Amino acid sequence: MNSILEITGLILLLIGGTFLFLGGLGIFRMPDTYNRLQAGTKATTLGGMSVILGVGFLEPGWMIKALVLVIFIAFSNPISSHALARANYKRGKYPYLKGGEEYDKYREVVTNQKTKEEAQ
Amino acid sequence: MKKILVLSLLAVFGVYLAEVLFKIDFGHQFFLNGVKDFYLTASPDKLKVANVVTSIVVNFRGFDTLGEVTVLFLATTAMSSILYKGRHKLGERAVLFSSSRIVMTGSKLLFPAIILLGVYVFVHGHLTPGGGFQGGVIIATGFLLMLLSYQDYQVSHVVLSVVESLAGITFASIGLIGLLNGGTFLHNFLHTGVLNNLLSGGVIPIIYIAVGFKVGAELTGLIYTALNEKD
Repeated sequence: MNSILEITGLILLLIGGTFLFLGGLGIFRMPDTYNRLQAGTKATTLGGMSVILGVGFLEPGWMIKALVLVIFIAFSNPISSHALARANYKRGKYPYLKGGEEYDKYREVVTNQKTKEEAQ
Repeated sequence: MKKILVLSLLAVFGVYLAEVLFKIDFGHQFFLNGVKDFYLTASPDKLKVANVVTSIVVNFRGFDTLGEVTVLFLATTAMSSILYKGRHKLGERAVLFSSSRIVMTGSKLLFPAIILLGVYVFVHGHLTPGGGFQGGVIIATGFLLMLLSYQDYQVSHVVLSVVESLAGITFASIGLIGLLNGGTFLHNFLHTGVLNNLLSGGVIPIIYIAVGFKVGAELTGLIYTALNEKD
């Protein structure tokens, strides 16, 4: 029983470490802010959660604290990435296609809604 | 010419530093005996405090910590008085656009958790790493989150200064009671209890809680002044 807990914890640590590494790599490799945010927040959310859960499995006494931390990360990480992306968008930095032209579906949706509302 | 002079001075300094550092072997205890052993044995044995850093900061050199807290208070006061140019009115803060509803709701949810973490850190200051200063800073970050996400969030300066003064008075009066009871300032006059219990260490947890409140109030006031300052 003890060894099963340990193996689960170690596997979770491995998964978390891999995702944190990939997130760090993505921040270096990705071309613009939105892609970097994707790497820097999604990957680190999963990576951080797995590492903390893995620690909880390795040390069963810390499991409750680990779960509280996981919940905290589940709240704070998406909210902060949303705030970063929104601030970047409001500063006028739109996503790019590979050729260099701007590609902004969100603005199209907003303008379409506005024209629909005006038509009604 | 100037660069060569600077480089040669740095080289001389580096040579002396390297000489001193190479004299210490790896894994070698440089301070063989003396005050270190006293701290390491007296902290768990006499004071029943698991965190040696806390016992040094709050008890063995508690008077210095009182001075440190005063220096922090003076620094925040001086910074506020230098920065102060008049305050924005409610909702007129220098932000480009208001936060989205997601950020508002999320920070409302996270704010109690952050405050709880700060309180946890300074209440357990004598058992685990951390303490009054760290816990106070965590509490101030919670208020920073609220001030950033809500444009009309207000912190009462009166409440802040009352909390801060009460915490300072608690610290100083515990020191004075120790002076009356044991003959030295900040003498540990309460029962020290059992090692690793939450209620142990005598006056150390009380002082650290006071320090936590004081640091939290000071930094919150500083952040509030800096955010509401007119450009």
